[in-house]
Amino acid sequence: MTLPGPAFWLFLVLLAPAAAALLALLPNARASQWAARTGAVLAFLAAVALLAGGASGTYGPYLGLDSLSELFLLMVTGVYATSTWYSARYLSGVTRPFLTPQIYYALLGAFAFAMIAVLVVSDLGLMWIGIEATTVASALLVVLERKPTSVEAAWRYTLIASAGLTIALFALLLLYTDTGTLNAFALAAHPPALTLPVEMAVALALVGYGTKIGLFPMHTWLPDAHSEAPSPVSAMFSGVLLPTALYAFLRVFAVLGTPVPAAISDLLLAFGLATALVAAFLLQNQRSFKRMFAYSSMEVMGLALVGISLGGVALYGALLLLLAHAFAKSAAFYCAGNVLQTTGTSHIDDVRDLRHRLPWTGTAWVLAGLGVTGAPPFGTFAGELLIVTGALAIGAYWVAAVVVIAILVAFLGVNGQIGRMVFAQGRPDATAPAPGNERGVGWAWLNVAVAFVLGVASLPYLSDTVRAAAVLLGGRLP
Amino acid sequence: MLSTPEVVALLGVGILLTALYLQSESFVNPLITGIAFQSLLLAALLGWLAWVEGNVDLLLLAGLAVGIRAVFIPFVLRRQIRAFRWRVRELHAAHRVTGHALAAVALAIIAWFVFQQTLAGIFPEPGAALPFVLLVEGLLMLATRRNTLVQVIGYLEEENAVVYAGALFARNFPLFVEVVVFLDVLGVVLVGVILSIQRDVTGSPEEAGLEELTG
Repeated sequence: MTLPGPAFWLFLVLLAPAAAALLALLPNARASQWAARTGAVLAFLAAVALLAGGASGTYGPYLGLDSLSELFLLMVTGVYATSTWYSARYLSGVTRPFLTPQIYYALLGAFAFAMIAVLVVSDLGLMWIGIEATTVASALLVVLERKPTSVEAAWRYTLIASAGLTIALFALLLLYTDTGTLNAFALAAHPPALTLPVEMAVALALVGYGTKIGLFPMHTWLPDAHSEAPSPVSAMFSGVLLPTALYAFLRVFAVLGTPVPAAISDLLLAFGLATALVAAFLLQNQRSFKRMFAYSSMEVMGLALVGISLGGVALYGALLLLLAHAFAKSAAFYCAGNVLQTTGTSHIDDVRDLRHRLPWTGTAWVLAGLGVTGAPPFGTFAGELLIVTGALAIGAYWVAAVVVIAILVAFLGVNGQIGRMVFAQGRPDATAPAPGNERGVGWAWLNVAVAFVLGVASLPYLSDTVRAAAVLLGGRLP
Repeated sequence: MLSTPEVVALLGVGILLTALYLQSESFVNPLITGIAFQSLLLAALLGWLAWVEGNVDLLLLAGLAVGIRAVFIPFVLRRQIRAFRWRVRELHAAHRVTGHALAAVALAIIAWFVFQQTLAGIFPEPGAALPFVLLVEGLLMLATRRNTLVQVIGYLEEENAVVYAGALFARNFPLFVEVVVFLDVLGVVLVGVILSIQRDVTGSPEEAGLEELTG
């Protein structure tokens, strides 16, 4: 018996979440939940098959895959699958939800479908539509808990992200006017001459997609939406939506070929360093743990952009960082969901003694915190180390210094706060709180384990794919 | 009979003037009328180009500009005002409109100058800088206003800017109609769904500025 070819897996990875989104509308809540779960797992399996099967190439005029898209597909479908399975636990704890479970799962499937579509299309215009569709599908998920803060967060998210995306569309108009095509694969294979419109298009795309990536100073929607969304959706926002927007930018960036013009790499470096540094300091004085994690995601996006701007081994580090961060951060948000529903608050000062109240969740949270901030031996550590090494290798000592400062500040901030919530005792006069419900924490443990393994083992197929993706963007093998 | 460049320039100036007018207004009702009028001017420009060139896509875009941005969304926005009579004026911005108007004029001049210095040689079409100016004006409105109804108007102005740019210098841009449909869908989601939820949950179409969403 022969296995189906790459075209089959490509259609499966794209259509499974779409079918799940439609089937989730079934009137029976349990059937809806299982349709969503099945679709998410099928999408993940298809992404693994594509990664293992070497599916690079174009499929008709609008679809195409290469190492970069395969890598991001694995990331998106992995977090989509665990978030879908974790959702049942989270939904059971939401009182007065604004959306029925059926609508929730349908929107979750549509959200994942839009992200996956961005990763498998070869046309930059379709990619833009996919990114815009993620906003439409996910904005309503933010208001699940019917709070005034959620509604305002959804509003800011939709408006600011859309404003940024119109700038990205302007960039595509400029690019098309100069090159006459929007086929990302053709443009990357035969980069156009470096004219002013092409360079301006890349710069505008950075600003436009940068809004969705969460780059400073266009990031203002990010902490609101990430902190107000239900935790499984926050996990998808932080873990994979931001990287998907970065992927869309990378496809425009790849049009420049190598070497990248100094003006553009300097622009990336400036945005990356500013974002990492500002986010690292802002997360220090957050009162809400979910907002703290949102700023931590922003810091990681900044570091990844620095790696991309430096090229070489740092670019490889950036891709590894994004991959490991996706799993570690989603684990952190699943734990945050359990803590939020147990304590009824997201205020850091009101959460204490989790090691007794939620021992499994608390332990996973500590590990996830270490994972997202680049503690050894997590994959994020390897990624950040390669970015610093890359900066040192080209003599950019001040860049390495700023990156190290951002990493250390974020590390101390996130882990210090998690440590207080997990290990510090509550007030002596407080009544002993009841133990919490730890259902769903297995998904956090699973994703923490993935982030861990990415740092300690060279995985078959995956490591090669990360290397090939880095080479595709002009990076170098470590 | 006017030539095509003259019609494009004339309608472009009209679109620019409506953009400047929108910045100087704090009452929401005239703002809605203003954006509807701007969309109609854009639709006229698209319709003219469609007629001259026999371009069906431009005709579809003109239809969308009229149907969605000149009629449907303004209609929904007016219904929102009827539900909140006391919100017909953006109080937050009322004392600042002179500053907004001056900033809008200054930004328009700067945007025009930047375009002339960088891209004018590549886009020689008459009034090619105007979509760029309109985009900047839309962003200014989004950034400076707090009333959500007015922010929707800023969003629509940005969408008009993108369609205007596409019509002027990227008429063969693939999937452009689909892209604009998507922008319109987002506009409808903005006004139709989130505004309604906001009204139900917070009882106000002004941004709440809630304490929890700071930091």
